[in-house]
Amino acid sequence: MYERNVIVVNRLGLHARAAAKLVRAATAFRGGLRVERADGGGAADAKSILSVLALAAACGTELRVVCTGPDEREAVEAVCALVESGFGEEVEA
Amino acid sequence: MSRRGRTGKRERKWLGVAVSEGAAVGRVMRVHGGAPAQVYHATVDASDVRRELRRFHAALRLARRQLVTLKRRAEHLLGSEHASIFDAHLLMLEDPKLGGDVEKYILDERANAEWAVKVVGDRLLAVYANIKDDYLRERSSDVEDVLGRLLAALSGESRSSRLTEDAVLVAEELLPSAVAELDFAHVRAIVSDAGGWTSHAAIIARGLGIPAVVGVRDLFRHARTGDEIAVDAVRGEILLHPAQAIREELASRTSGRKPAACPTHDAGRAPLLTGDGVEIILRANVELPAEFDGVKRYGARGVGLYRSEFLFSQRGGRVPSEDEQFRAYAQLAELTGDDGAKIRLFDLGGDKLGAGEPETERNPALGLRAIRLCLRREDVLRTQARAVLRAAARGRLDLVLPMISDIDDVRRARTVIDDERTRLIGEGVEIGAIKIGAMIEVPSAVFVAEKLAREVDFFSLGTNDLVQYLLAVDRSNDEVAEWFRSLHPAVLQSVQRAVSAARDARIPSIVCGEMASGPAYATVLVGLGARELSMTATAIPRVRAALAGIEIGAAEEIAGECLAASTADEAEEIVRLRLGARWPQLFPPKALPAPKAGRYNSEQAVRGGPTAS
Repeated sequence: MYERNVIVVNRLGLHARAAAKLVRAATAFRGGLRVERADGGGAADAKSILSVLALAAACGTELRVVCTGPDEREAVEAVCALVESGFGEEVEA
Repeated sequence: MSRRGRTGKRERKWLGVAVSEGAAVGRVMRVHGGAPAQVYHATVDASDVRRELRRFHAALRLARRQLVTLKRRAEHLLGSEHASIFDAHLLMLEDPKLGGDVEKYILDERANAEWAVKVVGDRLLAVYANIKDDYLRERSSDVEDVLGRLLAALSGESRSSRLTEDAVLVAEELLPSAVAELDFAHVRAIVSDAGGWTSHAAIIARGLGIPAVVGVRDLFRHARTGDEIAVDAVRGEILLHPAQAIREELASRTSGRKPAACPTHDAGRAPLLTGDGVEIILRANVELPAEFDGVKRYGARGVGLYRSEFLFSQRGGRVPSEDEQFRAYAQLAELTGDDGAKIRLFDLGGDKLGAGEPETERNPALGLRAIRLCLRREDVLRTQARAVLRAAARGRLDLVLPMISDIDDVRRARTVIDDERTRLIGEGVEIGAIKIGAMIEVPSAVFVAEKLAREVDFFSLGTNDLVQYLLAVDRSNDEVAEWFRSLHPAVLQSVQRAVSAARDARIPSIVCGEMASGPAYATVLVGLGARELSMTATAIPRVRAALAGIEIGAAEEIAGECLAASTADEAEEIVRLRLGARWPQLFPPKALPAPKAGRYNSEQAVRGGPTAS
């Protein structure tokens, strides 16, 4: 198992389009990927947009990305990089 | 006595938030938002459970096909940035959490497919309803949208509706797919009970120049399809069964959406002369392909500002290739013919190109963006220059360099462009002559305007950024909206200096910020010496009507008084009093900027509010 924490930096948070990008990224890997709120406020299957949206991760929320599988490290790093990049959107200064 | 509309019904007024400026008179077209209200519940025989599952899967396939088509259409019309919402819808539709739960419910409860979708959907929505963050909670409308589509597919309905020529869409909440499914050419305005600045409907309406008012409580319940309705999306006023006088007043202000108010091809093409015979040229600002139609329709003399960064967002942030750019610019050249188009180099921040370190840019508006980014990422500049030079063989194209702060920026960019020209000639590729202009939007460029004018072929004044940089006000920050003052004397002096410098150097100058799109401000700009203005195409008819009635001498006099004002308030007061006194028929009190209290909010609501990205 491999895991890493990451903070949501784009101003609008994990909204529908951002969540879609995250899910598309996650489905590229074989391992089972989970995204959890670091504050224990919820956990989601990273390959299900409906559960990712239910995390209600606004800007500033700390998330933990967890993966178990043959490509666990790459999967977690790819998802974290996407979150850190602000999904290519406006980032809160 | 209360006023009555044409059908004798009493005029009724609603107030909302104007999210896309404009005005329109038309007939109500009610658009139902999400799921149909009534979903029946039936317990099916064990033998029919399979049939319900099959119906559910068929509905999923139909909904999927619709979404794929919709996504493609939105990509074409609006670019991938807006279309990406449908990718989210597709993922929702395919989400195992939805499909799996619905199947399980059908099997366990022996329920009909409709009921299973409704129960599972309601459970999902209940989760989102508790979300505290406004923006994220608003996203539950996307889930509702998908559920509604699925239910409609189960009933075999198509959700798109035929629109009449003068449709004003009235909805409880206008969902993104409803907006994308619309035939934009027929929509005069959009009004919804719910919604805010960040709703997709608002963003798309702004992109297409369709007047829109949201947050109009309870209108949907009272409006019937076919009712007459007047929309004032400057003040956020809605009138149902409007009285004749209001209809006429608004019709005169509608930005030409109504075919009757639309200038005929010839009228639109006739030179615009002021009352005393000075020619003013009006061009269009263009970003989305959906706006191309408006260039001719509203009588624009070509495109005064093409925001090429659209090509970026259309490709999801990938640098468009030389050929992709060439095709886009060639289309622009063919569209605008002899009038031509001015293409602004990619006006992007460093984060968009992966150059520089976005996380270390603490002040992106002052960072590695626009011309600076083009000079840093020379490969991108070279590709764009080649594409424009090649497309210029098809028509008149010019290139505008954004965010020039020093003449050296111009010289460096020119060297690269000249280099590519030489190369293309060497390669035997057909190219056209292009003029190169500088955006005047950074105060330092104003201070060296006289010298800068000798190094470029024209000036483009971007008033939005000029105000932002000159007054040190972040346009996207609502907290400082009251300091964003287009009529600040320092702004007016800068415009005058730049325009005069261009005139003295015998090069053209064009003002292409939002300021040019209001008749009162446009009059001041002309008074300051501007002879070419570029604006959202839909604004052209109203600006044209105003400028045709003024005299230059008087406009100069009023602009002169504004220049001499000490504060922005004073300048605005001069505009309000003097324009109305000089040309009462052109500037009735309602057409002038509102007096202090309401003004900042309404201007900000139209121009500076947050946009979803």
